[in-house]
Amino acid sequence: MVLEGMELIAIIVVIGLFFVVFKQFGVWEPLLLDESSDCELELSAVRYQPEGLEQLQSQTKFTRKELQSLYRGFKNECPSGLVDEETFKTIYSQFFPQGDATTYAHFLFNAFDMDRNGAIRFEDFVIGLSVLLRGSDTEKLRWAFNLYDINKDGYITKEEMLAIMTSIYDMMGRYTSPSVRDDDPSEHVEKFFQKMDRNRDGVVTIDEFIETCKKDENIMASMQLFENVI
Amino acid sequence: MAAGVAAWLPFARAAAIGWMPVATRPMPVPPREKKKSQDQGLLVLNVSGQKFQTWSNTLERYPDTLLGSTERDFFFHEETNEYFFDRDPDIFRHILNFYRTGKLHYPRQECIAAYDEELSFFGIIPEIIGDCCYEEYKDRRRENQERLQDDEDDEKEDVAPLNMTFREYMWRAFENPHTSTTALVLYYVTGFFIAISVMANVVETVPCGTLPNRAKEISCGDRYALAFFCLDTACVMIFTVEYLLRLIAAPSRYNFMKSVMSIIDVVAIMPYYIGLVMTDNDQVSGAFVTLRVFRVFRIFKFSRHSAGLRILGYTLKSCASELGFLLFSLTMAIIIFATVMFYAEKGSTSSKFTSIPAAFWYTIVTMTTLGYGDMVPKTIVGKIFGSICSLSGVLVIALPVPVIVSNFSRIYHQSQRAEKRRAQKKTRIAKIRASKSRGTNAYMHYKQYNGHFLTHSSLEEACKEAGQLLVGKPNIPFESHHHHLLHCLEKTTNHEFIDEQTFETNCMEVTMVNKSGSRTSSMSGSSSPHGLSSCCSRRHRRKSFSLPNSNNQELSTIQIRERPIVNSRSSLNAKPDFETVPLKSGHSYVTSSVVTLPPAASSLLTSSDNGGSSSSTCNYSQSNIVRVSAL
Repeated sequence: MVLEGMELIAIIVVIGLFFVVFKQFGVWEPLLLDESSDCELELSAVRYQPEGLEQLQSQTKFTRKELQSLYRGFKNECPSGLVDEETFKTIYSQFFPQGDATTYAHFLFNAFDMDRNGAIRFEDFVIGLSVLLRGSDTEKLRWAFNLYDINKDGYITKEEMLAIMTSIYDMMGRYTSPSVRDDDPSEHVEKFFQKMDRNRDGVVTIDEFIETCKKDENIMASMQLFENVI
Repeated sequence: MAAGVAAWLPFARAAAIGWMPVATRPMPVPPREKKKSQDQGLLVLNVSGQKFQTWSNTLERYPDTLLGSTERDFFFHEETNEYFFDRDPDIFRHILNFYRTGKLHYPRQECIAAYDEELSFFGIIPEIIGDCCYEEYKDRRRENQERLQDDEDDEKEDVAPLNMTFREYMWRAFENPHTSTTALVLYYVTGFFIAISVMANVVETVPCGTLPNRAKEISCGDRYALAFFCLDTACVMIFTVEYLLRLIAAPSRYNFMKSVMSIIDVVAIMPYYIGLVMTDNDQVSGAFVTLRVFRVFRIFKFSRHSAGLRILGYTLKSCASELGFLLFSLTMAIIIFATVMFYAEKGSTSSKFTSIPAAFWYTIVTMTTLGYGDMVPKTIVGKIFGSICSLSGVLVIALPVPVIVSNFSRIYHQSQRAEKRRAQKKTRIAKIRASKSRGTNAYMHYKQYNGHFLTHSSLEEACKEAGQLLVGKPNIPFESHHHHLLHCLEKTTNHEFIDEQTFETNCMEVTMVNKSGSRTSSMSGSSSPHGLSSCCSRRHRRKSFSLPNSNNQELSTIQIRERPIVNSRSSLNAKPDFETVPLKSGHSYVTSSVVTLPPAASSLLTSSDNGGSSSSTCNYSQSNIVRVSAL
């Protein structure tokens, strides 16, 4: 009888082990109801409505018709009314299929997104365009300075300029003639600084920038290039 | 290029002002704006009476389609001031939506052939169909093509080609018994003999009564040995002849011999011949008996006569992994239960569970709910585990079987669809990439043709010079603006876009020229002369030769190559490709001369000066491969 008792204990232990083994098999596991996926309610796309036409007209130098056509194009691409950085990069990259336009698009995005909220609204878009296309030369140069000044501290350092230059060269891609060498951007930056940095302090301030550009005929001429874009 | 972004082109161009302060060279002239008044206009498209209206900008998003290009002018109806198309309005709705949203959908209720026709009329490639509708479209298309193919095949089968060789005729007769009466006769005869042979094998083993002078019963095969032998011989004769005939008739003998059916044939007839060869040795008779087992493979020859058998074989093969998993899990369960039963029954006397492998048999019989009863547990523990074993056997075996059955059909269909999708994807991506490269190539072509025009004062003059070569393309505002934008980028960075082939050949040539021993240098209009490495520095770093800034530079190779055009719509004469490696040196001086052929193309030459830093832009002609090298 004693043996029976021991046997009983052994039986219980072995049965317990069996359950464990079956759990490993996945045979005994209760079905985990997959409810977690339902809880992901996708927040409906945030919609954003722009300010009224009159207000935009007063803020920019576009005519009513131009604003209308701009908005139609904008809304077509971004029905939610906001452009986020990824969409922006995708759109901009399509114009430069041979190279990688994402870095430059990132800088552009920051230049357009004036209130730094991570998305470009139609107002930002249109105000930026107004400066670029209808603004005075000083305003355009100011905008360009703002683009180059990555951290918006009022100075363009060589590092910032190098980043911008590298991103521009990246847009060219690999198949160029002559081939883009690794130090092409930095050479270009050196030339730029030689021209722009008057007091040789290693940074370019906005006044130096505007002054130098105004003296350069090529740059001034090229500023007027895109006047009839819209 | 995706046309939705056509709306963003003004923005991209405006943003190009960001490059201006950085650029060291003057920017190219932007293309002239033409017909500004029509830009914001509404167009009326009258399709068989149903009027659609849209902005002209919308249509111009896809300039390589009918509606987006000047081809639509052919359909302009002056009296009503609208564009009239005599096509299906229901399908046109989808096509117009494509312009509006950038996505082409395929309506399920439309006939695939009609839809295809409309797409090709309006110049839209079907690969643009969005992912939501693409699979449906491809399925329908495949079905349609299969239907057409079947119709064709049926026609072909009925009409036998007149001058078939005897060999082809035989092969056709063997493969398809419905082609002629001979084939049908062959089919039935072979089937009959297969059945006879199999039945003979079976009946051979039946006990046939006793001989008068023996007590033991002997099988029919031994009693009527001669009869069976004759029957077997006859069958094997027929099979051999059939096999040899198939072998002769097969279009590819090697493939035929590799196929499963021929292996089955061989295995079916081999035992007989081996039996003939071998004598009645006792040593080999055991092996000989084993060989006779292979005669049963003759039953597999029926699979030529039955499509169902073939499908079953195929599905088994395709579900082999599922079956393998079932077997594996079964084996695990068997081993576990056999072990448990063995140790549980170890104590009891006269237990049949002598070892774990011996317990395997019990486990299998119990799990499959057979329960022969030749091995039964006697202890309580053994009985407990035995019942657990049989319960889990039901679970382990009964559950996966329907799963496997449904797996058969699911996997079968799924693998077919997956392969289809993979193949489609490759061609789709290739085609989309081709049209994208068409875009970049378009720019390159545009550049080549208009490169020298930018030095002229007015575009019109240049247009007249080039004659009809500029027809079409620059009139499309989007393309020309986009090209101007890319041109500005080139000027900003002082590098030019070239395509991949030219880049590769550029590198190869430069390295080849270098190998030939002469010192060359390749440079562009940048100020400092580089070494040979400039062209290939990104790729062939080890081949960088550092040439001193010396003045010994020698020749430059100028090639004029023809390249086929990729643009389909306004594809004119072949445009040549051009690669120039101009020099900058103190001493040498290069004149490039270009051979021109008569028709309208103008040819300009520029030569790089001694101290000039501007890169020479030479011009192109319709010449064939001309290699000009000058010193």
